[in-house]
Amino acid sequence: MEKKTAVYICTGCGIGDALDTEQLSKVATDEGSVPICRNHNYLCSQEGVEFIKNDIDNEGANTLIIAACSHRVMYDAFNFENCIVDRVNIREQVVWCQKPGDEDTQMMAEDYLRMAMAKVDNMELPEPYKPEEEISRDILVVGGGLTGMTSALDAAKAGHSVVLVEKESQLGGFQGRVQKVATFPYKGTEDNDLEALIQEVTQNEKIKVYTGAKVDKTVGGPGVFEATISQNGTTAEHRIGAIVLAAGWQPYDPKKLDEKLGFGASPNVITNVMFEESFNGGEISRPSDGKDVTNVAFLQCAGQRDPDHLPYCSSVCCVTALKQALQIKAQNQDANVFVVYKEMRTPGQSEDLYRKAQEEGITFIRCQSPEVKASGESLAVEAEDELLGEAVIMEDLDMVVLATGMVPVTAFGMDITQEEKEKKEEDEAKKGEEDLDDIPLDVIRRSDLLNLEYRQGPELPALRYDFPDSHFICFPYESRRTGIYPAGCVRRPMGIATAQEDAAGAVMKAIQCIELTSQGAAVHPRVGDMSFPEFAMQRCTQCKRCTVECPFGAINEDEEANPLPQITRCRRCGVCMGACPERIISFKNYSVQMIGAMIKAINVPEEDEEKPRILVLACENDAYAALDMAGINRMKYNAWIRVIPLRCLGSMNLVWIADSLSKGIDGIILLGCKHGDDYQCHFIKGSELADIRLSKVSETLNRLALESERVRFETVSIIDYDRLPAVLDEFAETIDEVGPNPFKGW
Amino acid sequence: MSVKVDPNLMKDLKAFGLKDANKCMQCGNCTAVCPLSTPESPFPRKLIKYAQMGLKDKILKSPEPWLCYYCGDCSDTCPRGADPGEAMMVMRRYLTSQYDWTGFSRRFYTSEKFEIIAISIVGILIGLALWIFHAGNPNMEHAYLNSVWPAPAIEIADIVMGTILSILLLSNTWRCVRFTMGDLLKKIPLEIYITQAKELVIHFITQRKFGECTDRMQWIVHLLIMTGYSTVFMLVVVFLAGGIHVIGLSWDKIMFQRDVIYPFFHPVRLLGYYATFAILYGTTYAMIGRLKKSKPQYKNSHGTDWMFLILLQLTTLTGIFIHFTRLLDWPMPTYVLYVIHLMVAIPMLVLEVPFAKWAHLAFRPVVLYLMAVKEKYKEQKGIA
Repeated sequence: MEKKTAVYICTGCGIGDALDTEQLSKVATDEGSVPICRNHNYLCSQEGVEFIKNDIDNEGANTLIIAACSHRVMYDAFNFENCIVDRVNIREQVVWCQKPGDEDTQMMAEDYLRMAMAKVDNMELPEPYKPEEEISRDILVVGGGLTGMTSALDAAKAGHSVVLVEKESQLGGFQGRVQKVATFPYKGTEDNDLEALIQEVTQNEKIKVYTGAKVDKTVGGPGVFEATISQNGTTAEHRIGAIVLAAGWQPYDPKKLDEKLGFGASPNVITNVMFEESFNGGEISRPSDGKDVTNVAFLQCAGQRDPDHLPYCSSVCCVTALKQALQIKAQNQDANVFVVYKEMRTPGQSEDLYRKAQEEGITFIRCQSPEVKASGESLAVEAEDELLGEAVIMEDLDMVVLATGMVPVTAFGMDITQEEKEKKEEDEAKKGEEDLDDIPLDVIRRSDLLNLEYRQGPELPALRYDFPDSHFICFPYESRRTGIYPAGCVRRPMGIATAQEDAAGAVMKAIQCIELTSQGAAVHPRVGDMSFPEFAMQRCTQCKRCTVECPFGAINEDEEANPLPQITRCRRCGVCMGACPERIISFKNYSVQMIGAMIKAINVPEEDEEKPRILVLACENDAYAALDMAGINRMKYNAWIRVIPLRCLGSMNLVWIADSLSKGIDGIILLGCKHGDDYQCHFIKGSELADIRLSKVSETLNRLALESERVRFETVSIIDYDRLPAVLDEFAETIDEVGPNPFKGW
Repeated sequence: MSVKVDPNLMKDLKAFGLKDANKCMQCGNCTAVCPLSTPESPFPRKLIKYAQMGLKDKILKSPEPWLCYYCGDCSDTCPRGADPGEAMMVMRRYLTSQYDWTGFSRRFYTSEKFEIIAISIVGILIGLALWIFHAGNPNMEHAYLNSVWPAPAIEIADIVMGTILSILLLSNTWRCVRFTMGDLLKKIPLEIYITQAKELVIHFITQRKFGECTDRMQWIVHLLIMTGYSTVFMLVVVFLAGGIHVIGLSWDKIMFQRDVIYPFFHPVRLLGYYATFAILYGTTYAMIGRLKKSKPQYKNSHGTDWMFLILLQLTTLTGIFIHFTRLLDWPMPTYVLYVIHLMVAIPMLVLEVPFAKWAHLAFRPVVLYLMAVKEKYKEQKGIA
């Protein structure tokens, strides 16, 4: 494409008053030799947009630089097909946060225009990725329990063919073994009608059900998955568009519980799961001799919310205990039922079930650590009642039911990172090989669910407590593998109502994934992005950085350690681009070279002008937005800074730091998202990786006889906008104290 | 030593009128909002917890039910509709039945049928007694009560009844004292009991704790009923024959049952009017409240609550009618009304005072007095 650049400067929103726009135009026309440069006082109006369109149609302009507001606003007005468009943010990040009419403000705006011109010079129009194979629109659901079946039906109703794989010989999962259920609207116990759902699933012609089966192998990526399913020794292959993982949970092993809880000491001490499984025929009776039960105690949080066992709350046990207690009461109104709890957790309308249980006369005892006393036939529970401030005893119990928790099936199996480590220790020779130890690795267990043929491991990476969840508040239903969406109790412990909702949510994400992939666009969080990474393989040194660092496991590896990018799995964050020491990875509209050119376009004044320059590399998801927010709130900050937004701080390539410093830029500050367990990084570990890379920079700085204070990393979230100006000002002061970069003017 | 949880107590308390206490989730809003609850004696939450856990012994030792005057703030504030105020009321009924060694109170509270039959039997017996034992030649020209049932004779019957009732009430009160004080009863020196005796009188007369409740109207109504009742009690029981005639203590000028009517401004007549007004106003207010369920404390009415109000009001109404028939000098209506009056009043005294709602006139001030004693004792111990 022959580029014809046009620059538009909006003078509305106070820009015209604060800046000398004529002077600014000269930067474009004189320095940049741009053929078209125009001002308009209301560029985002219909008239303003027409004004630009006129040049596209009549002047052949196809590379547009719009110097106006932030790219985070008015993106629908400035959307011109088949044109390279770059927005220069002279509103939020120049005139709204700097002194109007000031020389420094003018310099800032001019620099941003120069940077934009350098940027578009190094940009191409992205072309959507089209895999060679046809995109499959089928959805694979792993797990035939309540969540899996609901997912399958929801997907089928939306017109997708579904392959449902269940490891047991029949559909139903855990709910299939339950007699009564307590779910929305929680007015009492109801009969389990799972059979109707099973019928609906098996009769739906869009759903192909495999029972007694498992997924042997999954290769490819969204739209082009190939799943091998084995059933009774035979295998079937299916082409799949996206996957819902609804593989469910296992009860926590009660044998591991504290002896105090008495499991094993008496046959009459059972778990909540055993209660469901042993009494699903009807009558609830004493396990030891089948006699009637009149005194029953339920002990909640058995090995839950306990750092030695399950540190989390399984969220359903309170409702389950209430349900089971009500079942006992329904069988024998005179039965004495005790529920010993740490806290009753009956959120939302399930509180009604708690009320119902209270009204039925069930006794509730709040105690952190009850003790079961079993000797021979006699069974008692002693509990320190916190509300009474005294120990109470429940004697002559017929049965004690322990509320053990849910463990996701992804928690079973060896962690591959651990495996690797052990292998490495055995293999002394490999120790000397290139060290990638500094890269934080995910926990991936061989839980035999998906058996992905991915370079980074065969299953979904786990977050906390082995749940393959993402940061649910920010990124609902996402996992760290594109096109695979966990739902139901494998994602987090949940009850029936939530599981059904979860099933629908995950299917929705799967459908979105298929739709976007078939357009060649990225999925969450860069939804609709048409660009994708391209590898200049002739320069690759097989260092494995890109394949190891990719937060989504999107890059496979051949035997010679050459990266094999699987573009439909890619989220376009650019972490690989930041990782690559050879700088061979680039996007059509985002590359090491492009950012490098932008840095070089910054006009660095001579030392005696006493105008230091600070480069801000800001994550465009949070930090850049926070900078905009500071501008919107008219907060003023230092005029020496020049901001470059990055897709993710993980895409930061160290060469930019070197480029900046050798150009004479005095300081560099990186603004990224919070990382760690409660990460806010849209690409999970981008900001963490940037931080790690940066730690190596100080060495380089020392070698160049530069002070390490010149480079800093800060974590910022969007709500931190109010402290951002202070952070920047303080950094500017530090740089002032450190003194000018000695490389200025070289 | 751990205490045994006994869910059966809740079932038992239902008979005493407990309805919603099992809805309590122990949030403590009731205790927080109660103007009378203190850190030393927190209620109502604690008592509801005792009930839920079936801790009978702890309830028996608790003074808290008597510290509550049922203003209803807790029931208004309860987020679960557990009606803690009513639970406290139930505790008072339960305690009354537990203090009573005869077991009569328990039956009276737990069976409405028993309650009605007992009242009826006593009423009929009184009617029969008055029918049988009357003077030979009643004055049929003028309404002279003394000509049918001479005051000294009634006084003797009065004293006999008073003695029996006192023995019953005092023995129950003694049990109340023993339960509430436990081991402390004998540890506290007598001197403290004596110096604190004024508390007993103050609480009895002023019910000043009730005045600390948010809804002061209840205090006023309660004071009206109490003072009205006490005045009538003084007039009828003590001044019936102008003093305690049988032991020679009498003064004709204040005699209550006499055939000549006092002039309007005579203190006895004025006191009688005050008592009539006070009781009538108080009971009518309470009855309308209970019918309309206008306040939390009127929302739940146990059979004994109604019985108490009905008997008190009937006694007053028949008293007023007698007053008018006497003023009109209608002999026969006066005598008939007098019989009805006593058929209502005496069962009320005999059954309600030692066994039911009236008993609280003794238990409440006594417990408040004991609390003051305890506090004083602790204070002294603290200094020592």
